[in-house]
Amino acid sequence: MASSRAAHFRYFVAPQGQGTAGDGTPDRPLGSVQEALRGIAERHGGEKPSVKRLQGHDRVDICSIARSRGGRSQCKRPRYAFYVDPLGAGDVRGAGTALSPWPDLESALSGVAQLDRQGELRLAPGEHLSLTVREVFSVTPVDRQRRRHERIAQGVFFLMTMALVVPLFLILGHLIVKAWPVLSVSFIFENPRNSMTAGGIWAPLVGTFYLVFISLLAAAPIGILAGVYLNEYAGDNWFTRIVNLAVVNLAGVPSIVHALFGVMAFVTFAGMGESVLAASCTLAIMTLPVIVSSTKEALASVPMTFREACWNMGASRWQTIRTIVLPNSISGILTGVILQVSRAAGETAPILFTGAALFMNVPNKGLRYFFPYSLNDSCMALSYHLHVMLTQVKGATAEQIAAGDGIPLEQLQYGTAVVLIALVLLVNSASIGLRVYLRSRKKW
Amino acid sequence: MAAIGIQIRHLSVRYASRPALCDISLDIPPNQIFGIIGPANSGKTTLLKCVNRTIDFIDTARVEGQVLVGGQDVRQVASVYELRRRIGMVFPLPVGLPLSVYENVAYGPRMAGLRHRGELDALVEKCLRQAALWDEVKDRLNLLGTKLSGGQQQRLTLARALSLRPDILCLDEFSIAIDPVTTMKIEEVLLELRAEMTIVLVTNLVQQARRLAQKTAFLNDSRLVEVGETKQMFTKPAQQLTYDYVTGNIG
Repeated sequence: MASSRAAHFRYFVAPQGQGTAGDGTPDRPLGSVQEALRGIAERHGGEKPSVKRLQGHDRVDICSIARSRGGRSQCKRPRYAFYVDPLGAGDVRGAGTALSPWPDLESALSGVAQLDRQGELRLAPGEHLSLTVREVFSVTPVDRQRRRHERIAQGVFFLMTMALVVPLFLILGHLIVKAWPVLSVSFIFENPRNSMTAGGIWAPLVGTFYLVFISLLAAAPIGILAGVYLNEYAGDNWFTRIVNLAVVNLAGVPSIVHALFGVMAFVTFAGMGESVLAASCTLAIMTLPVIVSSTKEALASVPMTFREACWNMGASRWQTIRTIVLPNSISGILTGVILQVSRAAGETAPILFTGAALFMNVPNKGLRYFFPYSLNDSCMALSYHLHVMLTQVKGATAEQIAAGDGIPLEQLQYGTAVVLIALVLLVNSASIGLRVYLRSRKKW
Repeated sequence: MAAIGIQIRHLSVRYASRPALCDISLDIPPNQIFGIIGPANSGKTTLLKCVNRTIDFIDTARVEGQVLVGGQDVRQVASVYELRRRIGMVFPLPVGLPLSVYENVAYGPRMAGLRHRGELDALVEKCLRQAALWDEVKDRLNLLGTKLSGGQQQRLTLARALSLRPDILCLDEFSIAIDPVTTMKIEEVLLELRAEMTIVLVTNLVQQARRLAQKTAFLNDSRLVEVGETKQMFTKPAQQLTYDYVTGNIG
């Protein structure tokens, strides 16, 4: 870096050339811009400048003096800003702007003089033109503006991210703090008892596993294979277009509508009654479209050129899918499926009328402890259990709690919520882990 | 293995409403290198896709006319997979399959049902040598094909095309990603391979066609302008357009 502090010179000219020959101070202004330019050349340019050779960041202003006491003072921003850059491309005809600066002071002065002669410069009283020497590779005004925008953009994006993250952590923190006293191994592995005023949440937890597992058993094969068909085999015709449209729209149907469909189709028409089977099928119908579309997306991310190369080798479509397409899209497909697990675990509406039970008296030991429900029975489920705890249960009396045979209702509610959320988070992070693992083995 | 020729009879192809080939008739004799030259978008690649019927995978394409490979209409062959195995294809952009180098070359034979490990090993080595790639990859046959450099991947593609010992080898601008020295090596291999197979060489490098091809066809704007002995095509072609193109005076 050159001189530590940039010098700033001002030369004043009288508007409309009314001034007498002065020295450029506000009191004795110069007669015209041309005169000022000659003065600058003499003081700051040439072999031996009489004042100072202009260097990095030095600036010279030619100011048209403000009318004395007319209420107008000198403007802050220059009316015209010109630049000199020692590394400028040497294009003497450059316009002198920040992007095409003049290469040296001489060409700058003659450039400004020419503009003045052509009548391009019109300095109203109080306005000024500036001539700035730039440090090599210095920041231009455009750069400065860009940096400012950059900072604003970054700040806004960061704020939005915080708006997303902070509530999440607040909710999680609130839940965990409230549920802390009740969280224990026995809370998870004990069945509810005493009209659900004591005990744990084992029965609903197992019920959720039942529902998720069975619904996935139905939805995953159908969804994945249908996705493969739609992406790999089906041509572009009206039938596939309708199917694709249906898939997209089904994914957007509210879950309570799925519940209604489940009641009609599975509980009543198929004669399953309110049962684990009916609830699972309803959940399967709900998760299917998303599994189909995430499968299609994962398959579509495998480059077409791979398939063409295989076909050119005489491989059939199925051989190509089996050897190249599926191995390279399996991470995306599985991620899509696993995310639907957490969705199925969390939904209440679809199981509300199709198979969720308010309370089931289930065995506390033996094999039936781990497999308490039969497929034709209804079952408890975490999401519905939470709903029940919030709306139906009276809660333990003070005497019961004091006797050690009851847990405060609020703790039970929060405990159930925390277990449900932990389950969902567990499944989601498993999906992320799986995706990372499979992607690290990705082949291109 | 006796090489077989290709006859193309009044072949027209349209992509939706855009014509890609208009009424092409060509005789590609066996055991020759047949050059096809022409500017971009003149239908060269489409022609090759019709020969091995990968044009079927393009939904919008409409094909009329006949392509006879070894006297058989390709649209009436019993097994299109067998047809494609008989026709090796190399396209301009290198595609290393996301498999190991070894598996890339062994892919075609495996899909055709070859299981014997020793046979595969010998085949893979032979093909990689012919594609002038063996010396560079012999110590890392387990490396992913996609991790090779562009030029190496292109030679891998060539080795893969050769792995099925095809009767016809179609090369679509194979040398775009390869340096001149390696190109010369492969060109020598092509001249040797001529004894075993018919080679269709689509190229943007007019001089490459001149060096290698016995006969050359010139396609322009979806039409066949001229076909003839290479020597004649490059010295005194019948059409002014051909002359302009081969001498670089077009446009």
